[in-house]
Amino acid sequence: MKSQLFSRFLLLLPWVLIVIIVLDIDSSRAPLPALAPRGGGGGGGGSGGARPAAARAPPQRRPEAALPTIYAITPTYSRPVQKAELTRLANTFRQVARLHWILVEDAAARSELVSRFVAGAGLPCTHLHVPTPRRYKRPGLPRATEQRNAGLAWLRQRHQHLPPPQPGVLFFADDDNTYSLELFQEMRTTRKVSVWPVGLVGGRRYERPVVENGKVVGWYTGWRADRPFAIDMAGFAVSLQVILSHPKAVFKRRGSQPGMQESDFLKQITTVEELEPKANNCTKVLVWHTRTEKVNLANEPKYHLDTVNIEVLQAQELPWLESLENELMVVW
Amino acid sequence: MLRRRNLLTTLLIALPWALLLTLWHQYPTTHYLSLLRKETDENVTSKALLNGTSALREEGLPSCIRQQQSIRATPKVIQNYVYSRPPPWSDTLPTIFVITPTYTRPVQKAELTRLANTFLHVQNLHWVVVEDSPRRTNLVSNLLEKAGLNFTHLNVETPKSLKLGLSWIPSHTPRGTLQRNLGLHWLRDSFSNTAPPEGVVYFADDDNTYSLELFEEMRYTRRVSVWPVAFVGGLRYESPKVSPAGKVVGWKTVFDPNRPFAIDMAGFAISIKLILEKPQASFKLEGVKGGYQETSLLKDLVTMDGLEPKAANCTKVLVWHTRTERPTLVNEGKRGFTDPRVEV
Repeated sequence: MKSQLFSRFLLLLPWVLIVIIVLDIDSSRAPLPALAPRGGGGGGGGSGGARPAAARAPPQRRPEAALPTIYAITPTYSRPVQKAELTRLANTFRQVARLHWILVEDAAARSELVSRFVAGAGLPCTHLHVPTPRRYKRPGLPRATEQRNAGLAWLRQRHQHLPPPQPGVLFFADDDNTYSLELFQEMRTTRKVSVWPVGLVGGRRYERPVVENGKVVGWYTGWRADRPFAIDMAGFAVSLQVILSHPKAVFKRRGSQPGMQESDFLKQITTVEELEPKANNCTKVLVWHTRTEKVNLANEPKYHLDTVNIEVLQAQELPWLESLENELMVVW
Repeated sequence: MLRRRNLLTTLLIALPWALLLTLWHQYPTTHYLSLLRKETDENVTSKALLNGTSALREEGLPSCIRQQQSIRATPKVIQNYVYSRPPPWSDTLPTIFVITPTYTRPVQKAELTRLANTFLHVQNLHWVVVEDSPRRTNLVSNLLEKAGLNFTHLNVETPKSLKLGLSWIPSHTPRGTLQRNLGLHWLRDSFSNTAPPEGVVYFADDDNTYSLELFEEMRYTRRVSVWPVAFVGGLRYESPKVSPAGKVVGWKTVFDPNRPFAIDMAGFAISIKLILEKPQASFKLEGVKGGYQETSLLKDLVTMDGLEPKAANCTKVLVWHTRTERPTLVNEGKRGFTDPRVEV
């Protein structure tokens, strides 16, 4: 009798285990801590985590639909390295699921280079353009204001007819920064406005919000820490809900001071208390404010140009080449 | 009769355990054991997820991370996307070995990150990262493990005498030479000449920009292939001059076009077979004039008429020699202001 029970138990046990594994694998591609040969405490806690995962299997069956879309607004302008910057940015963005790229050119019309680039980009992309008025192109004035506002306007217009809630997160991605893939994981769970550290900015290795008990209480920055939101454009993300519920929140032009762009924008939509710190309570650097060197084109000939027309950059946007006439070396 | 029944029962008992074993081997439970580079898709995803949520303090330690806490802390939303791992390894596609010399400076992690983001798109890519340092740094080790790529991590320090003394024109001091040579040496050690793998070697500096098309162009190199490179030699791009017959006959550069190989490091790729056939070929350290570093290697491998022009007969630019500005860290002061334990 006993041996019968024993043998029946032995028979059933592996089948039960197999069924559990297969269910877990089917429902989600997540790791299975329950079966890991690690320490008891970890295994116990892990298996506790695995059960709810299996129970949540049905909603996870359509994982792509549940993921909030990340909207990246990238202002861009024509200069030699534009195509290179956009290329490597696209290479990063293509690794992120459900990312919609909003590319806004500082130009009066869509340029061929960017249009061709967008066509072959390999991710959902919206190509807008708005020229910056010449009087705002002085050094010291904030840049890309019109472009970012155009991106915001497009988003608002697109979602005005759709019913809430609209899961989505918006962030401003300058085309020369560097983004790690982890950053997108972190920002996707933004409920209102989330913040994180930014590397190589403000004259320091990094700048970050100071976090206590999960709330932002101050700013660790190298420049004008007295700003209401002493953070870089690359250091925050806003949920789509907040953008849609504050239709008048835009980047200011009139009366804007240098370095106050982010503060002026954020104070229209949130307060410091509401900010959600990400990146492990703002202790990890997941985005770097890199800048690319200006390219040395001193050897470009004025005459006897190349026989083929190779696209590297926009040739007509280089008036400063004319000034190199006197310094040109031997041409063909 | 009894015997047969016993046999049947034993078989019935053994069968599910065997099934269990095979499942266990295939699926992610084994990621704790397998630190092999050639992992299955699930292993890489799960590793990336766990590694991605490690605590701050562990940035300085090798990747022994506390997975349990992280798993409970992270929300479940993110686990379903299948990105941030390379396409599955194919046994028929030639491998691209990318040798990247790198050195410690503030933008190093950023450069390697965006390079990794690009390489994650390329199938059958093996990244050989060679640090210019006396020891392999934790920053690079952690980054390579998290990235999910196939990689080899080497290091060799350039002696100070070489860093300073080689040329009185600092911009022409060949950098990364020892590191690239170590990469070649590793390749020659790892593969034998008698059964060379199908593949190419490409020298990729960590601050350049590479389009994905470039890798597919170079993959089927027979000996040495070449293509244009943007932003070098003071030009929009430099490129080989290709005759209508499809042979390289010269160089379209302004800076010393009479060099045997007037091409940038990012403008050529060499097949593994050739590297293994000619074990003495390597970059020269001493007596190399500015702009001749590439020549010092290529002259021992191939002649100009043996070059294969790619990128539509060298009419498309697929790689840009971008350089990253040095960040102004004036506010760090003499002793450093920010917490040095935060890895940047």
